Amino acid sequence: MLKVQEIRELIRLVDQSSIDEFTFENEGIKLIMKKNNLAEVRELSASLPVQVINTALPQAEQKPVEVSTPNVETKIEAPVITNPETAEEAKLHTITSPMVGTFYNAPSPGAEPYVKIGSPVTKETIVCIVEAMKLFNEIEADVEGEIAEILVEEGQLVEFGQPLFSVKVK
Amino acid sequence: MKSTVRQNLLDAFRNAAGEFISGEKLANTIGCSRTAVWKHIEELRNEGFEVEAIRKKGYRLAEHPNTLTENEIYLGLQTKYIGKTIHFYESLPSTQQVAKELALNGATEGTLVISDEQTLGRGRLARAWHSPKGTGIWTSIIIRPKIPIQQAPQLTLLTAVAAVQAIEEQTDIDVSIKWPNDLLINGKKVCGILTELQAEENQIQSIIIGIGINVNQQLTDFPEELHSIATSLSMEVNDKINRAKLVQSLCFHLEKLYETYLTLGFQPIKLLWESYALSIGKQITARTLNGTYSGIALGINEQGVLLLETSDGKIQHIYSADIEIDALNR
Repeated sequence: MLKVQEIRELIRLVDQSSIDEFTFENEGIKLIMKKNNLAEVRELSASLPVQVINTALPQAEQKPVEVSTPNVETKIEAPVITNPETAEEAKLHTITSPMVGTFYNAPSPGAEPYVKIGSPVTKETIVCIVEAMKLFNEIEADVEGEIAEILVEEGQLVEFGQPLFSVKVK
Repeated sequence: MKSTVRQNLLDAFRNAAGEFISGEKLANTIGCSRTAVWKHIEELRNEGFEVEAIRKKGYRLAEHPNTLTENEIYLGLQTKYIGKTIHFYESLPSTQQVAKELALNGATEGTLVISDEQTLGRGRLARAWHSPKGTGIWTSIIIRPKIPIQQAPQLTLLTAVAAVQAIEEQTDIDVSIKWPNDLLINGKKVCGILTELQAEENQIQSIIIGIGINVNQQLTDFPEELHSIATSLSMEVNDKINRAKLVQSLCFHLEKLYETYLTLGFQPIKLLWESYALSIGKQITARTLNGTYSGIALGINEQGVLLLETSDGKIQHIYSADIEIDALNR
C-alpha cells in the first residue's frame, strides 16, 4: 500500500521529470498522475490505506481529487488538521522523521508522552524518539508553536521523511 | 584530566616504558621544577601507583594498580582523540546523561565519560542495566561524525565490532554479536550498547555511544534473574581482568574502525560485523512492538537492518526488536 509520503515523493519525482502522465498499479491501488495545465491526482481503489486516505480525503473513493501540482502538499495535509477553524489562520509546520525507525512518543514504555495535541513547543522541545538498531534519535520540534496533530502511533515503523507531527507555528 | 603537568608526567612514564627517568629529565620534559615533579609523584602514589625512586637513577612507574582512574586509562592510551579527554567519576546515576550534557556544552569529539559505578544504568526501553561498583566498564563516548542522520545507526554495529576486538585482544575469549549490538559469550550477555543522537536542523551535533561491559563480576554480583542470561569476562576466564587496559583497547579499536568508516563507508565494517555475527543463517524470533516475527536471519543490508525470511518466503526488514535465537539451532 502507498503511504502519504510515498505518494508525495512520486508526485515530486513526476513533477521534476519530463513525464506528462504517470500510472502506477500495485496491490489493488491505481494511481494516475497527469501534468498538463491542471494536474490530476486520482486514487482509484476500494482497498485504499484506511489510515491515510479515508481520514485525509473522505471522498477520495468516489471523486478524483483535483489539484494543481504546486499545491499538492497542502492539499494532502490540510484535511488531517483537527481544528480547521484555527488552522486556516495559523501556519503549519510538519515535523518529519530524519531516518527510518521505530517511533516512540515517550522516553520509556508507560511514561508520560513527550507531547500531546495542544502541547506548547519551543525549537528545542523533544517531541519523540525514532530508534533503529538501538540508536535513539531524540527529535526536536525545530519551531515554536503548538502541537496540532500527531500523525503516527506509538511503536510504528516510520519512513525517512514521514510526517510525524504538525505544529501550529507561533 | 586534572592538569597538563599531570598529563605530561604520565606521557613521560608511558614513553619510558618501565625504564627509569631522572628527576631532571622529567622536570625538563614537563616544564616544571624538580620539587613540582616530586609533588606530582606523591599524588600518583596516593592514587595507588607504585612509583620507584632510586637515587641517581630517577623514577620508574613500577606497578599499575588494578583500579579504574582517569590516569590509569590515560597512561596506556594509543589513540589520537577517542578517550583523550576523560571525565571519571566514582559513582554516577548514568554516564549517558553526563555525556549528553557535556556534548551540548561543546565537549570535543572522543570525550569519554566513565564511572566506577552507575546507580541508574539503562538499556533499551529503559530496562535497568546492572552496573555495580568496581566491576565493569560503564562508559559513554561522544563522537561528532559529519554523516547523514539516516546512516547513524550503522555506528552502533561498528561499536559492537570494536568491543569484540577489544575483548578478544585482552582475554582471548570468543565473543559473538547478536543483532544489532549485544555481545554474547556462550549465549550469555557480556556487553550492551545503547546510542543516542542529538541533531539540529538535520545535522548531527553529537552521538553518545553508551557501552556497558561486565568485566570482573562474579555470579553473586548479578541479581538472580540474570544468572542464566548474563556473564562477565572474569567468570569466563577465571581471572581478574585489567579494566583500564580494556578501556584503552576499546578506544583504540573504536577509533580505528571509526576512521575506516569515515573514509571507506560501512562496507568494511559490515564484513567484520558479519564475521562475528551469531544469528546469521539461524532460526530466530524477533519481538517488535508491532508483533513477533519468526524465520531465518539472512543477514544485514547496507544500512545494518536485519533481514528476516519468514516461512512464507517474505523478507521482513527489522529495525528494532528483541532477538531470540531459537534453542534448537544455537
